Amino acid sequence: MALKDFRPMMERCSNCLGCKWIPFDKIQSQRFGENCPINLYYEFHIYSARGKFQAAQGLLDGEYGYTDALLASTQACTACGACDIACKVCRYNLEPLDFNIALKADAVEKGNILPVQKEMIASLKKEQTMIIGAKKANRSAWAKGLKLKDAMKEGAEVIFFPGCKYSYDKKLQGYARTAAELLINAGVDLGYMGEADMCCASRAYQQGLMADFDARSEANIKAFKKAGVKTIVTPCSDCYYAFKRLYAAKGLEVEVLHVVEYIDKLISEKKLKLKKPVNMTVTYHDPCHLGRLGEPYVAWNGTEKKIMNQVHTWEPRRPRYNGAYGIYDAPRRVLAAIPGLTLVEMERIREYALCCGAGAACEQTYPEVSKFTANERVTEANSTGAEALVTACPWCESNFASAVDENGKKIEVIDIIDLVSRAL
Amino acid sequence: MALSPEVYKAFEDVVGARNISQDPAVLECYRCYAAQSSAHYGPFDHKTPMPGAVIMPGSTEEVQGIIRLCNKYKIPFKAATTFWAAMGYIGDENAIQLDMRRMKKIEINERDQYAVVEPYAIGAVVQVEAMKRGFNLNMAGVGCSSSTLAGTAGWVAFGPSSLFMGTASENMLAAEWVLPNGEILHTGSLGAGSGWFCGEGPGPSTRAILRGKQGTTGAFGVCTRVAVRLHPWPGPAVIPTYGTIPAYRAKLPETIKTVTVCYPSWDAYAEGANLLHQSDIVYLGHRQFNMFGRDIKTAMIKILNDPDLQLCDLPEIMADPYIKEQNEKMKIEVSLVIVGMTQRDFDYKMKALDEIIRRVGAWKSEFMLEKPIHDWTLLYLLRLGHKNLNYTLCGSYEGNFGMSPNVFVTAPLMESAAKLKDDYAKKYPYIADTGGDSDMGSLAILGGGGVTGWEFFTCFDRFDKASIKGACDMVNISQKWMDDHKLGVDMGHWNANARREDGFNYTQEQHNEMLSKLPQPWVCGYQYLVKKAFNPYDLGGSYYRTCDPASFAKK
Repeated sequence: MALKDFRPMMERCSNCLGCKWIPFDKIQSQRFGENCPINLYYEFHIYSARGKFQAAQGLLDGEYGYTDALLASTQACTACGACDIACKVCRYNLEPLDFNIALKADAVEKGNILPVQKEMIASLKKEQTMIIGAKKANRSAWAKGLKLKDAMKEGAEVIFFPGCKYSYDKKLQGYARTAAELLINAGVDLGYMGEADMCCASRAYQQGLMADFDARSEANIKAFKKAGVKTIVTPCSDCYYAFKRLYAAKGLEVEVLHVVEYIDKLISEKKLKLKKPVNMTVTYHDPCHLGRLGEPYVAWNGTEKKIMNQVHTWEPRRPRYNGAYGIYDAPRRVLAAIPGLTLVEMERIREYALCCGAGAACEQTYPEVSKFTANERVTEANSTGAEALVTACPWCESNFASAVDENGKKIEVIDIIDLVSRAL
Repeated sequence: MALSPEVYKAFEDVVGARNISQDPAVLECYRCYAAQSSAHYGPFDHKTPMPGAVIMPGSTEEVQGIIRLCNKYKIPFKAATTFWAAMGYIGDENAIQLDMRRMKKIEINERDQYAVVEPYAIGAVVQVEAMKRGFNLNMAGVGCSSSTLAGTAGWVAFGPSSLFMGTASENMLAAEWVLPNGEILHTGSLGAGSGWFCGEGPGPSTRAILRGKQGTTGAFGVCTRVAVRLHPWPGPAVIPTYGTIPAYRAKLPETIKTVTVCYPSWDAYAEGANLLHQSDIVYLGHRQFNMFGRDIKTAMIKILNDPDLQLCDLPEIMADPYIKEQNEKMKIEVSLVIVGMTQRDFDYKMKALDEIIRRVGAWKSEFMLEKPIHDWTLLYLLRLGHKNLNYTLCGSYEGNFGMSPNVFVTAPLMESAAKLKDDYAKKYPYIADTGGDSDMGSLAILGGGGVTGWEFFTCFDRFDKASIKGACDMVNISQKWMDDHKLGVDMGHWNANARREDGFNYTQEQHNEMLSKLPQPWVCGYQYLVKKAFNPYDLGGSYYRTCDPASFAKK
């Protein structure tokens, strides 16, 4: 949908400001009650879904163009969807996240692209990754020595898709190997995309770089189809979201599993036994794109319909992504299966978890906002008394690595794959 | 038009460059489409004016600095926090909008049982912090997303728990107030250096000036801190919750329970309300879910309790014989929360409730007692965290009728009011046709009871101009009905004399003309003199209604 198509939603937003908070029923303290990274950082009203609903009306009416604040509000938004979930506790006819993405796309269409975004686009085109400086030639370094089928040459029904971060980050490469080995050892006939393993472009979509997302996703879908892929397993939450929601909307019909879901499955089927105690207390960070945005895609092509004179509904029934069916329990079951490990929860969890600050490539486009958000989350993590912060997304992991809490204290950040491997 | 660079720099020096903005898109966000919010709080189909700048002060001293500059440069100003409705927004071109977002401290005094709150401490966070210490607060009916300070110091702010806890005017203790002329006033005990425990003496007893019953709606300086009375909460420090979004549910001890009492007639309702007022057993009482409309309330509760159901499912759910039966049984109802301070207290209260039910021939809704729905309702009512449901049907709603006299006066009129609205919705397609009776209201709007609150929800589509006009027509029709029944001003017209239809403040001359004709003109005449003393340049806006005594004294 183009920005102008959101006009009815813009006008029907009721200014309740629920988009700035976690669902009110879930608030446990003032300190950790708010949910929007950019609103926490900038504070003015425009840095919220509601603010943008209003500001975009002036934009559409030609009262102003993309002002500095409107642009910052649009670009710095991590597209984490926290506003969307909070809104949908009550509303059935507003889609704040889709609107935010449309606003980003509109800004891009009107030529508002940051220099660092241009670098990312150039890298995506040349090296098929949005990680600036990474080289295509090094992409498969993580897989060296692994007995993986090259899906493009041999065909493979189940492929492991590590994503850019696991492919290029030296530390994370080891976790990608571990995850792939876990699956192989459990008897999975596993492949990977070999030369055709490229960026999913989820982060292009999150930034409103639609042409780049379309080009990359369509090429990937073609490659998956050619390789006969039936199941994609990925350790990256961004890739997971891309395949499960965005690619599905483009016609990709495959099963998509995050590694943590696969590990959970192996544990429940008794194909994987975690024996070694890991005696520590940890807290778990729900990645936005695995949690609240990790719900399966449901096709819909419909229009608004009013019933009872003026009650807004959709015909046919419109899918309602409100985070109810995100991936929250699988990682928690995996943690529970590790002997000696104690999980203590933060206040903002599951569908109302705070973003890590890395969404929509914010750590590159607005690093100060991204860092502030990561620090805020680490403050919450440290408030639980946990010794480590566990997550299932490489972008979160990377953003938390240098974060400190409000007292300047860090926390050990552990990839859930690493934690599982410690218990093997 | 923007502020001059010199003036802008002066404000910037007070709060720092980060906390002031003249960016047109930022300013646009501080305008209110009146029909988007509750229309009865302001004009209907206009936006409020564009501010000259938006400023976010971080302390009382900064607020004082801003107001002194406003006086120096004769710039009107208005402070708001959660921007619920038109009353929070400025009413003059180039006025300063203060966004109090940065001031959000909460300090709780357990011994004296009050919380000192700053403007951006919303009801939800004051409640959760209070509950950790065994207290609760009167949550205004507007819901927990709104500022506790704004309700306490600036508005009527009654709510479902007002029967037990009192309304805003009853809960306000001492306050720190930056007056419109920039002076800081510490009211009540705070003014005598004795802390926050009392809103009147020792110290300046100015509560009647600063808030009275209805509040000055932000048009008389800026209240920067206020002490609000806390009330007992015998439940856990944090309300344990379970359930899947959007139906979060409370897991509370058996001594905290919600019961929806249904009545065979409005006469029985009135008698029941009267007995509930007298019995002192109710922690919270509200006719809540009828706001969707009498015909659909049970189906709506079903939808709100299931992550997979949507508004398009309404017709099918309503056709379910069980839902039909339960809806019919809940035609005239009120939801209560009974809280036992001890097991014995709880047992007594439930026994007393059963006796009241028996005496008036009422019954408990079995549908609302089903465990998942019970636990959802309990959390809903205790937290009041679903304000946005007011809008969920159509995007906007208008409060109609707004009757608040003694329950024996209003209850017999309910069916007549309901028919008026139902007839309109059946004849014209402009407002939601979900049942004429869409009354929502508190069991009491005064501590201890005596009077009840009634507000009919007229839901309309703010995106549809014909629907807006239809809602306006309904307001006018209901006003005529109110006049015919000598019930005063319909909610849709409540603030018609506070802000003009074009979104701007009234001039003093316009107010003189209007208000001098009202009964008891000396009320606004007195406020005129107060304004002269504390707000010499008239910088607060016309929500503070004033009338030059000369305009009526000569008549």
